[in-house]
Amino acid sequence: MNAPRALSLLATAWVCAMLAGGCARSTSAKPPGYIQVDIETSPTSTDPRFSTDAISSRVNELVFDSLVRIDQTGNFTGDLAESIERPSATRIVFHLRRGVRFADGRELTARDVKFTYDSILAPESLSPKRAAMQPLAAIDAPDDYTVVMDTREPYAPALELAMEGIVPAGTPLPRLAVAPAPPGAGPFRMASYSRDEAVVLERNPDRAEPPGAARGIIFKVVPDPTVRALELMEGVCDLVENNIQYEVIPYLGARPNLVVDKSPGTAYQYLAFNFRDRRLGDLRVRRAIAYAIDRETIVRSYLRANARVATGMLSPENWAYDGAVTAYGYDPGRARRLLDEAGYPPGPDGMRKLKFEYKTTPEGARLAEVFQAMLRRVGIGLEVRTLEFATFYADIQRGNYDLTSMQWVGINDPNHYYMVFDSRSTPPNGFNRGSYSNLQMDRLLEAGSATIDPQMRRRIYADVQQLAAEDLPYVSLWWQDNVAVMNRALAGFVPYPNGSLRSLAAIRLAGASEAEPGE
Amino acid sequence: MTRYVLRRLAALVPVALGVATLTFAIVHLVPGDPVVAMLGETAAPADIAGMRHRLGLDLPLWEQYGVFIRGLAEGDLGESISYRKPVASLIAERFPATLELAAAGLLVGIAIAFPLGIVAGAKPGGAADLGAMGFAIVGISVPHIYLGPLLMIVFSLHLRLLPLTGRGGLSHLVLPAITLGTALAAIIARMLRQSLIQVRQSDYMRTARSKGLTETQALVRHGLRNALTPVITLLGLQAGALLTGALITEVIFSWPGVGRLLIGAIGARDYPLVEGCVLAFALTYVVVNMATDLAYAMVDPRVRLQ
Repeated sequence: MNAPRALSLLATAWVCAMLAGGCARSTSAKPPGYIQVDIETSPTSTDPRFSTDAISSRVNELVFDSLVRIDQTGNFTGDLAESIERPSATRIVFHLRRGVRFADGRELTARDVKFTYDSILAPESLSPKRAAMQPLAAIDAPDDYTVVMDTREPYAPALELAMEGIVPAGTPLPRLAVAPAPPGAGPFRMASYSRDEAVVLERNPDRAEPPGAARGIIFKVVPDPTVRALELMEGVCDLVENNIQYEVIPYLGARPNLVVDKSPGTAYQYLAFNFRDRRLGDLRVRRAIAYAIDRETIVRSYLRANARVATGMLSPENWAYDGAVTAYGYDPGRARRLLDEAGYPPGPDGMRKLKFEYKTTPEGARLAEVFQAMLRRVGIGLEVRTLEFATFYADIQRGNYDLTSMQWVGINDPNHYYMVFDSRSTPPNGFNRGSYSNLQMDRLLEAGSATIDPQMRRRIYADVQQLAAEDLPYVSLWWQDNVAVMNRALAGFVPYPNGSLRSLAAIRLAGASEAEPGE
Repeated sequence: MTRYVLRRLAALVPVALGVATLTFAIVHLVPGDPVVAMLGETAAPADIAGMRHRLGLDLPLWEQYGVFIRGLAEGDLGESISYRKPVASLIAERFPATLELAAAGLLVGIAIAFPLGIVAGAKPGGAADLGAMGFAIVGISVPHIYLGPLLMIVFSLHLRLLPLTGRGGLSHLVLPAITLGTALAAIIARMLRQSLIQVRQSDYMRTARSKGLTETQALVRHGLRNALTPVITLLGLQAGALLTGALITEVIFSWPGVGRLLIGAIGARDYPLVEGCVLAFALTYVVVNMATDLAYAMVDPRVRLQ
């Protein structure tokens, strides 16, 4: 047989096989009544005892109920717990709602709650959540509807420990990371999970379905941001939250089939200093950098007004927020003077002999260039090192950087300050990666952690926020808005400051499930 | 012929060993820790140590290498750290999707390149040649990351002919295959044109023409087959580009292939999975090149496989 003939035969055979396969395989059309949410990456675990990434949390909170959860105002609210008591500084008692059932029909009792926590705390679990659970001394179930949680010491943010999704007692530790999800008591159950493709949720048959609500949700993994936008335009996808490029949002908002929902968010972007570097240990240099960065312009131009200039880690939505702190408006003249005072006068070429290594990920490279240009104006050279995420993260944890910019998401309790600024919180005890140390800050943070009374805590954290703005362990940059682009036919979407998708539990598809055809 | 194939297959062993050793060294040398990626930076030292032991990462590096190579000899690629599943079965699940995409890209490439190359090579300098080579330049220059969404906008959004993303039937394969095959088509078309121009000037073509064959008849019956040898060489060499191109195309089209598995594995520092995926790509490349050598003999009887 000659080669062209062989090739043509091969091609024919392949096309026939593909056609046959195409007929046999189902297409990716949505079942009626389902909505599709496009996500960037696959959830890494279907078991709430092991999931720590943001997308796993978003999916799991629709499948598993917890003792408490964060509501749309950013405050704690009872989920499985219908009432909560705090009889002492180290004890919280949760009284459970009766008649709550897992998706397999079993009733959820306090034993399931105790089992879930005990299985996370067991040393053999090696759950990534064990570290955050360290303040927890014991969890008990004196009867079927009462859960008692004891902490080792007075621990103000203890309610954060009560946000774990509950699994039925006896659920084994997952042997496979991609094992089917255990049944939860949430509004949905997981119908299928195909890593890197899609997670399909369908209604929990043991939960009353809100009238007209979507029958199921397909979380489809679409890694490319342009393609997510195209799927929205075509009407294949019904919702994308915080995963659309800013420059495309106005264009999508102008489409007849789409609507953009923008709301204040709590994701906090900051510039971090490494205090091991003697030059950055000098407050004048840190202040000079704060004055040299024109945050208003970055928010307006680079972020297309999809953020608010931040005063600190806590956003105005947080109960402990205090925005009356030292502010650093754009003032390059003042920045230069501060650098002169710090002993870095400009050389004959107009530049100061001050150069920092700024590390970032490929996604953050554009922002790094913006900082580089702004700092160059005051005579600071920024050598930008762009690294793949795992390498970048390893460097940051080891303190192998001068400057970097990262984001905190999901800050609920102000005790987060303790985890990042207390001198005892250097890794692995916390996230004080730059080895910041300030005795006054330590005293305030340790008091804030151990004080239960909210009014006293509010005062303590007002001082913390002022001290952080004054001493600048971080330069606060902005709080990113939550931007949801969605099918105009969706009704009932409620934005949460922390980006939660909990409102999908009651979301409705008004009218036709298909969007208007594109132009 | 059989002896030749067996000898080439035997040569796979040192190639596999070399690729495995190099990949092992690279993934273990780059910064980043799979255990910290799994447990977080605030995990207790005891938990970190426990996880290291469970994954065999507490052994000295040379011992880990020994375990890896021994496993390889037994056909065991180990267990993925992030999926907690055998690497071989993960690759086996995803490889058909990547192969399907690469094969479709190859066919699209050939289907576009042959008419273009022949038209251009038959009358160099003519309008058809200019047009075809203009296409070739554009095809080589446009990156997958741009072409993919462009095709989606035209064929999915405006014409509503084809689905945007995902793997399904033939309709799902069309756009990714065109995205992947276009650059290849451009390269092959240029090579085929060049090869045909040379062939047309050869003695046997003159003989064919003097026998009374028309230019087209001479080209189809005698010229094309001889012009194919360098094209086949090129196809073999481009197999690597097809596989790496498939990696990007898989991301754009949400195609669940080995490329996306590999990208995720690198991010999670899933050592066994990275090693397995790279090995799979490398061996595919070697096998494709072996097939290319065999194809020479089919096209050109002067080539003897020894």
